Amino acid sequence: MNKHFLKTLLLTATLIFTSLGVSFAEPKKGGTLIAAVGNSPRHLNPAVQSGIVTGFPGAQLFATPIRYDNNWEPQPYLAESWEISDGGKTVRLNLVKDAVFHDGVPIKSSDVKFSLETIKKNHPFKTMFAPVVSVETPDEHTAILKLSSPHPALMLAMSSQLMAIIPEHVYGDGQDPKTHPQNSENVVGSGPFKLVEFKSGEHIILERFDDFFIDGRPYLDKMVLKIIKDPATRTIGLENGEIDFYAFENVARNIVRLKKNDNLTVTPDGYAAIGPIDWLAFNTKTGKTADVNVRRAIAYAIDRNFILKAIMLGVADEARTGIHPGSPFYEPNVEPYNLDIDKANKILDDAGYKKGSDGMRFGLTVDFGWPGLKPNAEYTKAALKKIGIDVTVRASADFPTWAKTVSNHNFDLTWDTVFNWGDPVIGVHRTYQTSNIKKGVIWSNTQQYSNPKVDAIMEKAGVENDMDKRKALYSELQKMLANDLPVYWTNTLPYHTIYSKKVGNPPMGIWATSSPMDMTYIKD
Amino acid sequence: MLENEEIEEPTIKPVKEIFQTFFKSYSAVTGLIILIGIAVMGFIGPLFYPTDPFDMVWMPFSPPGADGFLLGTDYLGRDILSQIINGARVSIAIGFSAALVSCFIGVGIGSFAGFYGGWVEETLMRITEFFQVLPTLLFAMVIVALFGSSVLSITLAIGAVSWASVARITRSEFLRIKELDFVLASRSSGSNNMALIFRVILPNAAAPIIVQSALLVGAAITFEAGLAFLGLSDPNVISWGQVIGSNRVYILDATYTVTFPGVAIFITVLAISLVGDGLNDALNPKLRSR
Amino acid sequence: MLLVLLVVVVLNFLMLHLAPGDIADTIAQTMGGADEQDMAELRKQYGLDQPFFIQLFNYVVRVALLDFGHSHFYNLPVFDLIMERFPATLLLVFSAQILSLFVGILLGVYAAQNPNGLSSLFVNMFSLFGYAAPVFWTGILLLIAFSLHIPIFPVSGMRDITIESGNFFVHFFDVLRHLFLPMITLASIFFAYYSRLCRASMLEVLGADFVRTAKAKGLSKKDVLLKHALKNSLSPVITFAGLSFSAVVSGAILVETVYSWPGLGTLAFNSIISRDTPVLLGILIFSTLMVTVGNLLTDLTLKALDPRIKI
Repeated sequence: MNKHFLKTLLLTATLIFTSLGVSFAEPKKGGTLIAAVGNSPRHLNPAVQSGIVTGFPGAQLFATPIRYDNNWEPQPYLAESWEISDGGKTVRLNLVKDAVFHDGVPIKSSDVKFSLETIKKNHPFKTMFAPVVSVETPDEHTAILKLSSPHPALMLAMSSQLMAIIPEHVYGDGQDPKTHPQNSENVVGSGPFKLVEFKSGEHIILERFDDFFIDGRPYLDKMVLKIIKDPATRTIGLENGEIDFYAFENVARNIVRLKKNDNLTVTPDGYAAIGPIDWLAFNTKTGKTADVNVRRAIAYAIDRNFILKAIMLGVADEARTGIHPGSPFYEPNVEPYNLDIDKANKILDDAGYKKGSDGMRFGLTVDFGWPGLKPNAEYTKAALKKIGIDVTVRASADFPTWAKTVSNHNFDLTWDTVFNWGDPVIGVHRTYQTSNIKKGVIWSNTQQYSNPKVDAIMEKAGVENDMDKRKALYSELQKMLANDLPVYWTNTLPYHTIYSKKVGNPPMGIWATSSPMDMTYIKD
Repeated sequence: MLENEEIEEPTIKPVKEIFQTFFKSYSAVTGLIILIGIAVMGFIGPLFYPTDPFDMVWMPFSPPGADGFLLGTDYLGRDILSQIINGARVSIAIGFSAALVSCFIGVGIGSFAGFYGGWVEETLMRITEFFQVLPTLLFAMVIVALFGSSVLSITLAIGAVSWASVARITRSEFLRIKELDFVLASRSSGSNNMALIFRVILPNAAAPIIVQSALLVGAAITFEAGLAFLGLSDPNVISWGQVIGSNRVYILDATYTVTFPGVAIFITVLAISLVGDGLNDALNPKLRSR
Repeated sequence: MLLVLLVVVVLNFLMLHLAPGDIADTIAQTMGGADEQDMAELRKQYGLDQPFFIQLFNYVVRVALLDFGHSHFYNLPVFDLIMERFPATLLLVFSAQILSLFVGILLGVYAAQNPNGLSSLFVNMFSLFGYAAPVFWTGILLLIAFSLHIPIFPVSGMRDITIESGNFFVHFFDVLRHLFLPMITLASIFFAYYSRLCRASMLEVLGADFVRTAKAKGLSKKDVLLKHALKNSLSPVITFAGLSFSAVVSGAILVETVYSWPGLGTLAFNSIISRDTPVLLGILIFSTLMVTVGNLLTDLTLKALDPRIKI
């Protein structure tokens, strides 16, 4: 009775305090955060490597010009201020004066220039800095980006892990930056933490960088990232307190389980800019799926609700279009293709695909991009059987084999998870642009979808600086895409962050762990 | 010489006697009954329990016994009992065909090595030795990873890496038997080498080879499960290993999804090894200790 | 031994060649795709445009110089990667092998004393359990039991990297604590083989003349059992242990994957997912080497037990 009362009181107090925005205690300095990561990064240099696996250590090791708060507002980071002029074609960055790299060498505007050029040349996201024509460095602390056209995506592209500022005196030594030995060891970064040890497949140890350009930060002395591939092992580790923190959990079953644990906080917040969407992509050029009727019938036969409730156990959100529901550009008012087997059968009958004596109309193959999507592929097999499509699940043992199959357009259907990466220009356009049908390149327009009207809208939206006009353009785009259906979008990948009660200020912005964790601390 | 002939010639025991010895052993008979039971379940079971193992029949992760599903449902709401029943067929089929492949390669290499001797033997036994030091699972992983995970490639991969023991046994049997009088007799009566190998010597060497191959079936079933656990399985067929492999992520809350197929493998392999022991005792009492 | 290695190397090369897609393909996909021109450049860079036999020759020469190539996933020399993981696997494989031998022999001796009794049956069933249960399954069940429900063992890895200070013993016991479950799991496969073999050969030896003589001379039962019977029955067990080294390494791959043990097994698993073929083939060569050395050690042990044996 007494205990219960106390608990209620405490809860009420917590609610009041948090609603007032008063933090409970001042962040405490010191301590070690034990985090788990689900995969071993190839290396630690996000300037030449995309992906959330490199992003986590990468964003700790390297600072970016700006950072974002929880409300999609840009905030100063390595650039203490910036000015946009010339209709968005000139961006002036004023750098923090006393910033130094981990080897003590000052961070200069020439490093910004070097970093941007390296990224533009080597990073797979070509649209990020494509309009940037040149970078001028009038003095050591000023960098001026000159653009060929307005580029609203630029601000997001200068945050998170996307524009890591790397030292020219280290990575500009003439070696190929993609395979530079100091991408993995003796990393010289610009961020709040420096590298102590990286043992691939085992752990990454990071240590507080004492001369970090924000005074008093980071709070943590040390971060230990344990690389644990097996989800069950990770979950046990979180439950018995061996691990304090894990981001990017996407196994629904584990999320549901860990939510019941009183010592852990489980939250889907913090992933809005990452924007991962699960979808079923169609080959719109060859085979039966070239017919939009077939694509629509398949969409009607696949129950998005089943995926959300049964496979994702209610922890994922519905995604009706290719733009993440957490993005300001999301347009939910499109044809949702809710389950309707009769309609699907009718569409196929009308289109002339008659059922054979065995009840089957034709066969298709379905691939999947990573093991987490295997249930979706297996579900597709069962679901499409009901409308007379005989589906064969093709398993690729490894990612490159799948990527090769799909990027060379040798597929009918494939499940995939694709990231928005903040701005639609970076992560959305690539899937639908006619100009981005690039054989051999994964996550290009592998659907080979081509619609001049869609291309035109995207071109307009990409350079539109007015937010409302831009929103209207993207709304139209999403409606057109839902009609043509080169891809059937189903749900967001249910990324969750799980952390123990002793972790304060976990990264809850829009970039999750692909942002600096200089404010995270360990409570007593 | 005469004496020798009397002791050595009847290497093949009368069938009746073999059966008698075999059926005297309780464990061997139990093993055989279990094995027949599992085979019947796999091949005839689907007629009596027609649920398609790929159909989603209920809510996912319904625990065993609840909602009328004896062994519960998996992550897609597919009936695990049906998966076990249908998986039996595939697991046993893969097990037997892989063992058969091993048997072919092993007997081929072992008999030629044992029969011809000399550089043939030297070369062939080098190869065998090589396959003995090769970590088999790793090699099979490489094959399946490089050439794709279809049932065929998995079966061939398992068969291709497990034949060394058969080859060794075949060779030593051939070395022993080829010097016996009845072989020398048919050699002098003009039989050609192929006839000698396959008609005369091989039948007399069959006993230990059969025992070894029987054990290989069990090993191949476990082997397939191991590959499936690592994600190297064919998603279009249900095998026990495949059930374990694809439910592996959910073991914390739905341990039963992994427990039941594991038990199925366990019981089958155990039964095979009991039968193998029984066969061993029945076919070659002298080699009891092996 | 050298010949065996040469065969592995050539076989490796053949497999690489026969498999659909080449290294350039994989690198291109890992990096996010490439067009025809980039592909041609990559092929040239990796010597894939050379004739078959020249490529084969180059490969063999490079391996002979301990250059296993470059991991395109980890961006490190394969040799370095393997050396980093090798000690962990070595520790696991040898400790499991020794444990299974020890327990197997113990059980075998115990069962041999009363070959038809209940205890013998029990030993038989116990060891058969380990033989028949898939090793990863045993591992998962042990992990759930002793890391989750009764959390006395850590879930993964080989050591607690948060322990900074501390002397040798602190680290030693830390590794031991991490090693315990993987070691037991891996050893469980082989209890059956060793205990049954030991039991059988003990029974054979116990029936032999010289043991009867020893008994007649009035030696105690214990002395007879340990000094004479056991010593003579060890040879077949150890011979078999040598032969099963490759099976131990195979089992280790699965066990490492279950427990995230940072050895060659997890590296192989990762390499499969990322199609890091040079690493995979490097591991294949290396583990073959490991098995060969294991066999050699077995022979030496046999010789130590019985000097009459010639190697």
